[in-house]
Amino acid sequence: MDIQEYFSLVFSDYTLRTITLGTAILGAVTGMLGSFAVLRKQSLLGDAISHAALPGIAIAFLITGAKDSNILLLGALVSGLIGTFWIRGIITKTHLKSDTALGLILSLFFGFGMLLLTFIQKQPNANQAGLDKYLFGQAATLVESDVWLMAGVTVVCLFVLLLFWKEFKILLFDADYTKTLGFNTKFIDVLITTFIVLAIVLGLQTVGVVLMSAMLLAPAAAARQWTNSLGIMVFLAAIFGAFSGVLGTAISASQNNLSTGPIIVLVAATVVVFSFVFSPSRGLLFKQIRFIKNRRDLELHKTLAFMYHIAETHEDISHPHTIKILNNFQGYTRGTLQKLVKKNYVTLDGNMWSLTEEGFNTAENLYNQQSTSNE
Amino acid sequence: MNSAQIEIQLIASLVAIACAIPGTFLVLRKMAMISDAISHSILPGIVIGFFITQDLNSPLLIVLAALTGIITVVLVEYIQKTGLVKEDTAIGLVFPAMFSIGVIMIAKNANDIHLDVDAVLLGELAFAPFDRLEISGVDVGPKSLWIIGSILLVTITLLLAFFKELKVSTFDKGLAASLGFSPAIIHYGLMSVSSVTTVGAFDAVGAILVVALMIAPAATAYLLTTDLKKMLGLAIGFGALSAISGYWFAHWLDASIAGSITTMLGLLFLIVYLFAPSKGVIAVMYREKQQRTEVSLLTFLLHLKNHTEKRERHVNHLQEHINWQKVRAKTVLDLALKNNMITISNDIVSLTKKGNTFTSKAIDYIITNEDTQIEDMKEDFFLFRG
Repeated sequence: MDIQEYFSLVFSDYTLRTITLGTAILGAVTGMLGSFAVLRKQSLLGDAISHAALPGIAIAFLITGAKDSNILLLGALVSGLIGTFWIRGIITKTHLKSDTALGLILSLFFGFGMLLLTFIQKQPNANQAGLDKYLFGQAATLVESDVWLMAGVTVVCLFVLLLFWKEFKILLFDADYTKTLGFNTKFIDVLITTFIVLAIVLGLQTVGVVLMSAMLLAPAAAARQWTNSLGIMVFLAAIFGAFSGVLGTAISASQNNLSTGPIIVLVAATVVVFSFVFSPSRGLLFKQIRFIKNRRDLELHKTLAFMYHIAETHEDISHPHTIKILNNFQGYTRGTLQKLVKKNYVTLDGNMWSLTEEGFNTAENLYNQQSTSNE
Repeated sequence: MNSAQIEIQLIASLVAIACAIPGTFLVLRKMAMISDAISHSILPGIVIGFFITQDLNSPLLIVLAALTGIITVVLVEYIQKTGLVKEDTAIGLVFPAMFSIGVIMIAKNANDIHLDVDAVLLGELAFAPFDRLEISGVDVGPKSLWIIGSILLVTITLLLAFFKELKVSTFDKGLAASLGFSPAIIHYGLMSVSSVTTVGAFDAVGAILVVALMIAPAATAYLLTTDLKKMLGLAIGFGALSAISGYWFAHWLDASIAGSITTMLGLLFLIVYLFAPSKGVIAVMYREKQQRTEVSLLTFLLHLKNHTEKRERHVNHLQEHINWQKVRAKTVLDLALKNNMITISNDIVSLTKKGNTFTSKAIDYIITNEDTQIEDMKEDFFLFRG
């Protein structure tokens, strides 16, 4: 099946439609919430939470003995929240730093989860097969009810986001100020963290524990490059996330042996790289272009200043000089000379150059432009 | 206990020790999450190495995988240097991408590769004794024991040789640079050791649990001491202890050894986190409570100092005036009595000489913030210990 065939099948085939819809919604909601995680400098929290959710899944299964994905996700949510608040406890109560706290909770919870999973595998219960799909995710196991659940969470999340938009925004950029204004910062903080945990837990089934953090970060990091406005960033991140979901599903469906999760992550990573390079204001490409342009301008100024110092010693400022004397000056090239001619600062006559009145005046004011423009 | 069991415990302990040493420095340098990134992103290196050598224990594979780890570090630093995103975002972007590439490479060649992601991520220590190293026909022990043993040997040698440099550059980068140690060389040296250790340990305990073995013992030790040598020693001890107790726990539960070692590390951390003498949660909470009481005591003494009228110094009146609850007022009163700062006669509270000087001294300290005046008070009061 190639990609074209996939797009013609998307609307008719039940499985493909469900999976595509699921990954698109998931990408959108994680992108949206990921923007907050990235801006709050909690990028790696997603990684820690997704790992910390594993024991919750195992314990939920041990208690109920059934593989109802809603109950398992509830377990994951509880354990993810415990992990998150323990991380916060470690950071505030001890002198351990946030990276240590994240790494600790991530690995300890995950290890404990693995212990439980291997313990479950030894149990005489036919139901246990398939729990390990939460490790790497299997988009193919998505059914319609899962997609409805995701859609429901997305709607609630959108609603809360719009309702508390102002509070989220101000907490993001100036937490202390928010407190002095009388907002209940703890509540807002817990609210946004809970939604981030919720989004991560939802994604476990699709992309798995290990790759979930990229789903949260990549769309947001890409969106950040294109705008400085929070609203646009959240919107763009949602678009990028949904795009990665759909394209990733399309690619993995059109090839054999390609699991969906890693492909989605790689598509999202490509979007990030593209944004890093081609974003007009922050991108590396345009930054380099601006850098080169600035250097050229500076060299032009240097040549002009050099000429000015020569012309200064003559009574007639337009007294012609040979081009040769510019030769052992590093700012000089034939190109810069041409540019100066074009700007009408210099006139050329064979091998001789002379400064014009305009060029002389410009050069004179080259280094006090700042002060004159301020007056 | 048969010989396979002893070998497993030996391997587990060596892995734990080999991880604890670089882990201590990672925790101190606030780079703990780098170990997580390395442990994930070595996957493509392992896969490529496996394509070439067809042997999970070959030295070339270890070198290739370690190289991928270093590439990750360089990549993270490059992205961070562009200033487009923060460091943690850079880490979070690089390793899932690398890991995905590894997973896809495995999936695409699933037919002719005996390597699955579970094995790389989770490892299986129980099988380690079956892969034996034979030198000219003589069985000299499990391969992974030799691998991790040599890695540990190199790590210890490097640690002893460069201990001073590591110490200085960890705590004061500027000083290290001005003394002529290149921080970059030490940084990349540490990163290389971490990568190699991660690779060496991955087939025993799995990539993710390497992170636990690196961070948890060091973090636990850091809660107990602030001396680098003691911290290293404690971390090694905690690592080895969890490795052995974890093995027996897994044996009893018939579950994953790596998972149970991590669970032991988690329990150990939880205990220390709660009960550590000066930095544990309970100690911190007790200290905060004590400090609160002592602030109240000071307020109370000040009140007494400012009022000579009997009416203001009546026990019941104090309760109303400073607006404390009964229990609180009683604790403060008891504390003051115990320290001989007040005397109570006929329910009238009056300051003793000691109480008087204490109050003036404390107020002096609060105003001038000069430490020397209150040296003798630090013993008895948490408030002045900073």
